[in-house]
Amino acid sequence: MATELGVSDVLKARKDYNAALASAGRRERATWFPLALLILLTLLPALQITGGHNYTLHLMLYAMMYAAMASSWNILGGYTGYISLGHNVFFCIGGYFSGMILAYFGVTSLLTAPFAGLAAAIVGFAVGLITLKMRGPTFIISSIALLMVARILFDHWQFVGGSNGVALPQMDIPAQWAKLPYYYGMMIVCALTVWASYRIKHSKFGLGLRAISQDEVKAESAGIDTRFYKVLAFAISAFFVGMAGAIWGEYITYLRPNIFLIILVAANMVLMCILGGKGTVAGPIVGAVVLIAFNEFSVTFFGSSEINLLITGLVMVLALKFFPAGIVGTLAKKGRLPRVLDWD
Amino acid sequence: MLEVRALAKHFGGIKAVDNCSFTAEAGKITALIGPNGAGKTTAFNCISRTMAPTAGEILLDGERIDHLKPHQVTRRGLSRTFQITRNLEDLTVLENLVVQSKVHGWRALFEPAITKEELKKAEEILAFLNITRLAYEETRNLSYGQKKLMDFGALLMSDPKIILLDEPAGGVNPSLLAEIVEHIRALNGQGLTVLIVEHNMELVMSLSDKVVVMAHGEIIAEGPPAMVQTDPKVLEAYLGGTNVEPAHA
Repeated sequence: MATELGVSDVLKARKDYNAALASAGRRERATWFPLALLILLTLLPALQITGGHNYTLHLMLYAMMYAAMASSWNILGGYTGYISLGHNVFFCIGGYFSGMILAYFGVTSLLTAPFAGLAAAIVGFAVGLITLKMRGPTFIISSIALLMVARILFDHWQFVGGSNGVALPQMDIPAQWAKLPYYYGMMIVCALTVWASYRIKHSKFGLGLRAISQDEVKAESAGIDTRFYKVLAFAISAFFVGMAGAIWGEYITYLRPNIFLIILVAANMVLMCILGGKGTVAGPIVGAVVLIAFNEFSVTFFGSSEINLLITGLVMVLALKFFPAGIVGTLAKKGRLPRVLDWD
Repeated sequence: MLEVRALAKHFGGIKAVDNCSFTAEAGKITALIGPNGAGKTTAFNCISRTMAPTAGEILLDGERIDHLKPHQVTRRGLSRTFQITRNLEDLTVLENLVVQSKVHGWRALFEPAITKEELKKAEEILAFLNITRLAYEETRNLSYGQKKLMDFGALLMSDPKIILLDEPAGGVNPSLLAEIVEHIRALNGQGLTVLIVEHNMELVMSLSDKVVVMAHGEIIAEGPPAMVQTDPKVLEAYLGGTNVEPAHA
């Protein structure tokens, strides 16, 4: 027997269906996963009780640093659509800011990291006011120019050691536990960055940034102060990268321009975001883990040669062939994203 | 309400708009018409500040807005659509509407993307436009006509005093066009001022309280529809001569 449906019936059915989907989505969101991951990372240093896991801790610290930096870059590059290839300038500013305070006054970067982030954010805000007037390829080139200017500046600034750099004092801790303060420091920076990235994506500000990435003229005409939004996104993005730089500087006990100001550092942030899924919350973390894992794999099996760069390139080519919107982005579009990675 | 005084926009030696003056009175529907290349859309772009005028003054409720940025003009109560729909393709219809809401500045950092009040208001607008079913659809999946409707709905989210519609009938099928006309009439009935650029003369003559005609960047006629459509200068601008029958409304 055929059933006749009126327009209102269809609308009601559609509304019920959407409501059911929404509540199902809420039920299924695996918020426990990032929390479990955080607890696991907190407990990981316990391995040192048996000793000999310094390399594991180093690798995790390195991955957390890049996860934080890629997530931070994602706020500008992913949500707003402005590709910066000079973001390591803020990594450098953070590293030198805290490093010089440590060198001259003996205050650890674990305490000064937020101020280093603030210094990076202030510079980011000022730079953004100028460079964010440009769009597309012009902005990308301006970000590379920023990197080149910063490199020349730090190479010739004798107060911060010039191109020879400056050695930093180390904490008086037994080697077995020496990595722990920085490990936890970087973990906090990483957790804060990912949390901020999530909060921004779900805020009115984040919606504005996504609108800007789609069509800036339309966004401006919708009443969004696009310049303010972009500059603020740039500053926030610089803040977390600056904090990561502060902790990394003291951790490696040496500051030198060619550690911070090589384009590979910025390229890594970009590649990790593209690989994981630009504009998604979990994407940069997945990208950081996958790229670092493949890099370590190639170093382990092929030695410390440039083959790891070749393998990184190969991973990128294959990943983008099969995951054009990044791993998380593509799986989400196909509806195949594992629940544990659905952080958006 | 909206007053345009001696507006000019020059691109090098080309005077796209020149010495253009007219008013759009509060609560009325004013149409800006003219042949292709007359400067209508350029005038629209200058009024909404998407484009900086070369000279002239634009006043909204007696206050000059020609020095403001586009987002400031929108916040003062003047919202517009574009000739070719400009939508935020990756965003849902609901998000496209909410992005036009009034939360700005630092507050935007701490407000959720869609508040309960905005959701309620957006749902009312979507229901008014009969596109409730599309609320959670990504804009890229919409037809051109649906995008036009959504664009129209987005304008209403910011509680505008005046809306500028750039060719709302362009590329729209007749039934949807009738729907759009009804929506414009209904909103105008509630006191909303409308300035419209349109090529569909039937729509213009039936809908407008006043028609302003542009040709070669200048205003050549202005008045009630019945008067404008018999104006020899208008007929000449459209048809290249005066020896023709006037268009019927």
